[in-house]
Amino acid sequence: MPDLEIARESERMQLAMPRPRVDIERMAGQWLKTNDKPQWIGRVDVAVDGDDLVVQVFGGGEAPSPSDWGTARSEILYAGTMQSGDALAGAFLCHYELPGMSIELQANLNLGLLVVATYVTFREQDALANRFTREFFRIAEAQEADA
Amino acid sequence: MSATETEFSTALDLSVLLGDWRNTNQRGGIARIVCAPSADGFVTVQCFGRTEPEPRDWGTVEAPVFAFTFDSEQAGAFLAVFDLGFLEVRLQANVKAGVLVVATFNRFSDTSGRSNYFEREFFYRTSR
Repeated sequence: MPDLEIARESERMQLAMPRPRVDIERMAGQWLKTNDKPQWIGRVDVAVDGDDLVVQVFGGGEAPSPSDWGTARSEILYAGTMQSGDALAGAFLCHYELPGMSIELQANLNLGLLVVATYVTFREQDALANRFTREFFRIAEAQEADA
Repeated sequence: MSATETEFSTALDLSVLLGDWRNTNQRGGIARIVCAPSADGFVTVQCFGRTEPEPRDWGTVEAPVFAFTFDSEQAGAFLAVFDLGFLEVRLQANVKAGVLVVATFNRFSDTSGRSNYFEREFFYRTSR
């Protein structure tokens, strides 16, 4: 495979096109924070819209996180492996523009948890430092899920 | 605007991030990450993929740094984006208990049929 480019040895594989659809249904649902204390994000609602995810984030009571960030569409979807679209350990990426700050949200599934990392960048010089967060969410039980 | 297009930042102490980091797994996909100071609010990040017969140098990029709390003066994380032409790697990195925890979000743009994939690896520091 002389024309195959790799960044890591594990990527040395040629597969059939088109790439398989990422099994994004695994990521859908209402995700609740695992921590009882206030945190940056309190809840993440993830819905499937065709081949994309629509993500709504709710603040977890820690300023300056808004109570409702609104919705954002996934920009990139990732499987857990290169060989399939299996999203058991998959991930997605989206961006939010909130008052005064830009946020890159990176989320991945790990052992049934949704692990959500955010890079918070203030658009103007501020007394607050740009911040990285990484928080954990569990899927809501049927009786917990908001209508 | 994405995190990599930041124009302003609060100056943060970079010492926790700087150094030559090696993968704790000798068969891990990324062999080595070198972090050096750069302009205010950034580090330079050089990555080496584990390939045969030689490691692949992904090049050096400027990466914005981030604290763990809004009132901190200590950087604990960065976001580095490598564009290798056939592959974009968004490298999420943060230091926890002296370990550089790295999650990579890998997007292929070639016709190899490989799926975009997520991976997580751990690195220890060999020198500052």
